[in-house]
Amino acid sequence: MKLGFVGLGTMGRPMATRLLRAGHEVAVWARRPAALAPLVEAGASACASPAAVARDAEIVFTIVTYGSDVEAVVFGDRGLAAGFAPGSVLVDMSTIAPGLARDIAARLAERGVHMLDAPVSGGGVGAEAGTLAIMAGGDAAVLERVRPLFAVLGKTLVHVGGNGAGQVAKACNQMVMVAAIEAVAEAMRLAAAAGVDPEKVRQALAGGSAGSRVLEVFGERMTRRDFAAGVEARLHHKDFGIVLQEAHAMGLPLPATAAVGQQLNALMAQGWGGCDTASLLRVLERGGPD
Amino acid sequence: MKIGFLGLGIMGRPMALNLLKGGHELVVWARRAESMAPLADAGAQTGSSPADVAGRVDVVISMVADAPDVAEVMLGDNGVAAGARPGLVAVDMSTIAPAAAQDIAVRMREKGIDFVDAPVSGGEVGAIAGTLSIMAGGSAEAFARAKPAFDCMGRNVVHVGDAGAGQVAKACNQIVTGMGVMAVAEALCFAQKAGADPAKVREALLGGFANSKILENHGQRMLDRNFKPGFKSWMHQKDLNIVMQSAHALGLMLPGAAATAQMFNAMVGSGLGEEDSIAVLKLLEKLSGQQ
Repeated sequence: MKLGFVGLGTMGRPMATRLLRAGHEVAVWARRPAALAPLVEAGASACASPAAVARDAEIVFTIVTYGSDVEAVVFGDRGLAAGFAPGSVLVDMSTIAPGLARDIAARLAERGVHMLDAPVSGGGVGAEAGTLAIMAGGDAAVLERVRPLFAVLGKTLVHVGGNGAGQVAKACNQMVMVAAIEAVAEAMRLAAAAGVDPEKVRQALAGGSAGSRVLEVFGERMTRRDFAAGVEARLHHKDFGIVLQEAHAMGLPLPATAAVGQQLNALMAQGWGGCDTASLLRVLERGGPD
Repeated sequence: MKIGFLGLGIMGRPMALNLLKGGHELVVWARRAESMAPLADAGAQTGSSPADVAGRVDVVISMVADAPDVAEVMLGDNGVAAGARPGLVAVDMSTIAPAAAQDIAVRMREKGIDFVDAPVSGGEVGAIAGTLSIMAGGSAEAFARAKPAFDCMGRNVVHVGDAGAGQVAKACNQIVTGMGVMAVAEALCFAQKAGADPAKVREALLGGFANSKILENHGQRMLDRNFKPGFKSWMHQKDLNIVMQSAHALGLMLPGAAATAQMFNAMVGSGLGEEDSIAVLKLLEKLSGQQ
């Protein structure tokens, strides 16, 4: 199939590479030309603009950082919208606000272009291995067209609902995950302050009801004091901005999420936005006993 | 001085009336024509658009709901910028995000208009009595030109700094008042559930370091269970959202304000948005099984 891919960062590069290896033709564009080189070597064709990508492809994937980036790539000067033929599909796998995803879908629908919001969980590791969890929002028939491609990228695919529903699920994912990271960080902090080996505590917890993937992965990063990014904390910070805006708009109290959001603000203030979110432990260490 | 006033709601109407009482010539405009009637009866002229008003005055003041409204009134079609005379000072007294105020100031300056952000504290009562606190951001010259108007509407008028500084001060004000209302409501709930008379507790606290205007005024209204606004919960929720969005953008940890903002979310979501912000007391009582 003729595909397009825009956004070749930590997530996009391995995802586009997997689609190539599965035998698809992939046209690519990235803001930084340097990001194109590894894909071109792997067989992708480089385009001069998102519009050119859309002209060449039946289905185009995007995975960029901010909602404003998605808008610019789709509706900006020489954006995807300028190249899409009616009936083509945009699959946006970025994490953006549900309301914005619905808005973009509606604007594309006016041109006869379909859209799925399909954010993912699983990080760079999951993108390389093709084991991402994909949460999709949009029309079921459109999703069926894209399903074989999703199978190349991820291990689980859930059709959550209509446009925007995938982003709602992703927002929920981020709330649960980062709150869990904060809980693990606080437990590790308590253990250390009480004079107990945090790694032993972590191992003890892993066998019981507090056991979780977050305890396993992020807990170990904390006890090894390895704060190099798996997922950059600034991205979780960005996502918490989205979640808390949604809560505001709906008049919904999310007290624990709001508290965790403040810990993320403090993390950013320490200059650790480019480090792993396990750095929430280091935020806690800024207060209380040495 | 010839002054224009745009936006004649709960706050704008009494503020405009105080400008008339102060002896200024006034030209008013409001989106709903019927809002202009009480001002016209009191001696104000009416304008057909913000641009029309701006072309007839030395200082124009807006008092509207949110940042998009301010941008529309100042820079939209038939906005202030479209009709301004050279030397016009434009003042916005709405509460909006500091970054939005700075952006509007820059765009107004590009059109040769001095812009002052001057949000207020003191509510409808202060607006009627002309005793508002006014916190202004903008150039010293523009502030000086608008000062006679401010003096008719407020008692505590402070030039905080450059463009946006007034809104920063207002955001700080909303942190202190939002958490203040929460603190008083929590204390009175605590007293009630722990078996002490909340009225007596309030009276005892008034003599010590916990004394504050909020304990005095809001505390009394909580005891009277008078939840009429005042200052509506949804507006405080909006203002706390400005605070929290600014904190997010700045990388600033505000744990207390964040917790308070969630309670205000809950108020709006539970249908208490139109009541005074002291209705947070009702929410606390409900959550603690005191109702």
